[in-house]
Amino acid sequence: MVKAYINGTGCISSQDTINDQWFFDPVVEPNGDYYNAIEPSYKEFIAPNLLRRMGRAIKMGVASANLAIKQAGATKVDAIITGTGLGCFEDSERFLLAMLNNEEQFLTPTSFIQSTHNTVGSQIALIMKCHDYNFTYVHRGFSFESTLQDALMLFSEGKETVLVGGIEEHTPNFIILNRKAGKFKIFDHHTAFWKPSAKGIQMSEGSTFFVLNKTKTEKSLASVDGIQTLYKPATSDVILQKLYSFLKLHSLLLTDIDVCLMGFSSDIDFDKQLRELLPVIKEETIAAHYKHLSGEYHTASAFALWTATKLIEKQQLPEVLAISNKKPNGIKHVLIINQYLGINYSFTLVSKC
Amino acid sequence: MSQHIYITGLGMISAIGNNVQESLASLSHSKTGIGKINYLTTRYKDDFLAGEIKLSNKELADLVNDHNPELNRNSYIAMLAAKEAVQHSGIDTSDGLRTGIISSTTVAGMGKTEMYYKDLFEKNDHLDVLDTHDCGDSTERIADFLGNVDYVTTISTACSSAANAIMLGCRMIKNGLLDRAIVGGVDALSKFTFNGFNTLMILDKEWCKPFDENRKGLNLGEGAAFLVIESEEALKKRNGKALAEIIGYANANDAYHQTASSPEGYGAQLAIEQALQMSGLKPGDIDYINMHGTGTPNNDLSEGAAVKAVFGAHIPKFSSTKAFTGHTLAASASIEAVISVLSIQNGMIFPNLNFKTPIAELGIVPETTVVKMPVSTVLSNSFGFGGNCSSLIFKKVD
Repeated sequence: MVKAYINGTGCISSQDTINDQWFFDPVVEPNGDYYNAIEPSYKEFIAPNLLRRMGRAIKMGVASANLAIKQAGATKVDAIITGTGLGCFEDSERFLLAMLNNEEQFLTPTSFIQSTHNTVGSQIALIMKCHDYNFTYVHRGFSFESTLQDALMLFSEGKETVLVGGIEEHTPNFIILNRKAGKFKIFDHHTAFWKPSAKGIQMSEGSTFFVLNKTKTEKSLASVDGIQTLYKPATSDVILQKLYSFLKLHSLLLTDIDVCLMGFSSDIDFDKQLRELLPVIKEETIAAHYKHLSGEYHTASAFALWTATKLIEKQQLPEVLAISNKKPNGIKHVLIINQYLGINYSFTLVSKC
Repeated sequence: MSQHIYITGLGMISAIGNNVQESLASLSHSKTGIGKINYLTTRYKDDFLAGEIKLSNKELADLVNDHNPELNRNSYIAMLAAKEAVQHSGIDTSDGLRTGIISSTTVAGMGKTEMYYKDLFEKNDHLDVLDTHDCGDSTERIADFLGNVDYVTTISTACSSAANAIMLGCRMIKNGLLDRAIVGGVDALSKFTFNGFNTLMILDKEWCKPFDENRKGLNLGEGAAFLVIESEEALKKRNGKALAEIIGYANANDAYHQTASSPEGYGAQLAIEQALQMSGLKPGDIDYINMHGTGTPNNDLSEGAAVKAVFGAHIPKFSSTKAFTGHTLAASASIEAVISVLSIQNGMIFPNLNFKTPIAELGIVPETTVVKMPVSTVLSNSFGFGGNCSSLIFKKVD
């Protein structure tokens, strides 16, 4: 079965992930009920004439793609695939408000042009002069998962190097409105993140890119062996049965998984099925989590893949990620079980290579 | 693994009809759906024309027979077109085969967001627009409406979106991940997109004139279209009937400018050439090209140059059908895929309305009246902001 070797990563998130030395210490806590991404100084990544016009999602996307490409030492890629739930929300909102406030008059096109969801992917293509395959997925909690699925297909169709990434940005108004709609909750230090007592998440943002290769090279950090999405599974038992079949495809049992990264979001309802799965996961492997560090967003699973890559690279599971008390004895296989709003579930199998 | 991908169902709603039969009637009678703006709320209502679906949101809700207040225009029309395609094909999503829904949109829930956005800050009504604003919403509505769906995803690559949804469906079937897929795109008109295109100054105040020397821009339209595509095995299993085959597709990037196409149409050339290569056809084997042909000075010049570069002196019969439907953005490639299949099925090439004078630099002339002739192979082009260029090739089933 075809694999995707991760040859480079670039991650902008609510943690200090742009710092290559950072390994889950120190960790940043949310700003109450939301996280902001820790953004780099973009001048290192983007020419000033371009930088001036770019919205934050584009800047985060281009910079993190740049980091991944640099680490991989890639000079060209055969495809650029991005995933984003809300796209360039800041530009969309800017054009929308200008239109509403000025009753459709005195508008300029820049923010409209940048509001299209494929802006990040096309800006990277423009900068890299890449005329090849270019795709943007915009499906909620499957946006990033779709990029990985596509990359694996491209490899079986003969492409060699593929750039994939997940990008999300929020805006002050977006936070105000979602808070008003009761979607957020202040981060609670006193309750275990995976045992919430109320509804609400900590909204976040970020951009994580990966250079994937069809063949293993000396740069390869880990491999993505498989990905599967599940739409509205009826019960946690359905998820478990699908998980066993997914692992079987890769000739693995759940007990072969060294660490299982689970997408708990701290919302009592959304996390219900993962909570039901937790005893089995703890029994058969080692449970860990990540959204208490990344916050929740449509493409948080890209942060999870970055985390899995780091765990494999360092062969360690930091205390701050652990749910189980057990320590892994070496890390060969990491399984990510992500969920978004309790609707979009996914399995990603990441292995040492 | 199936190497043949068959189209077995069509569904479409746009300015030229609420279903495929009505659309075919408009196309074969050269009857445009573009006219005065009646449904979209905009201060420019009397200044521009648009290709609107001739139904209010209330009428659409009645037609879908779902009055859930969370539904918006994008979801209504997506559900209608997807349902028509599924009924047309006769597939049963509960038969145990793996079915995917691959949709695409650019505007998503913006049409409703723009109505209530300012109220959201002051009142507590309509906060549900926060849940229905994104692109995934209409896709999941289709999935829930049809039931028993194994895979859902949504693509947004501007005006080439639905071509990429069709392509992804083909690839997932060929890679053995799905047995069949409902593929297409949807974009309802919104004040947001209307004003966006207006600030770019690429809207024609009169009927758009694709490939005409005096073309001034595009007319916006709205619509949804879906196709059911199946593997050979899935089709055989249920004794289904194929309407046409998809034998070529390609996706390339112009990498020239965020909104403009390169003068030589380099990305378009790549997409057309690669699609031809996959199909195993030579340029001379194509019977008809359904062009992207938006009617903007830039697109038509660039696309025309690309077609000339690939086909040389022997350009097949071609037309842009955007003067019928208006430019339906993310939906346009699936609407034009339906039109391409109708061409094959009915032995008809539908005209490029409003054309008078060839573009001086190109000298190419589209078909301006309905042409009755056997059509075995159709190339359909779609290009979008961000340099996204996609081409599809359809073939008559032997």
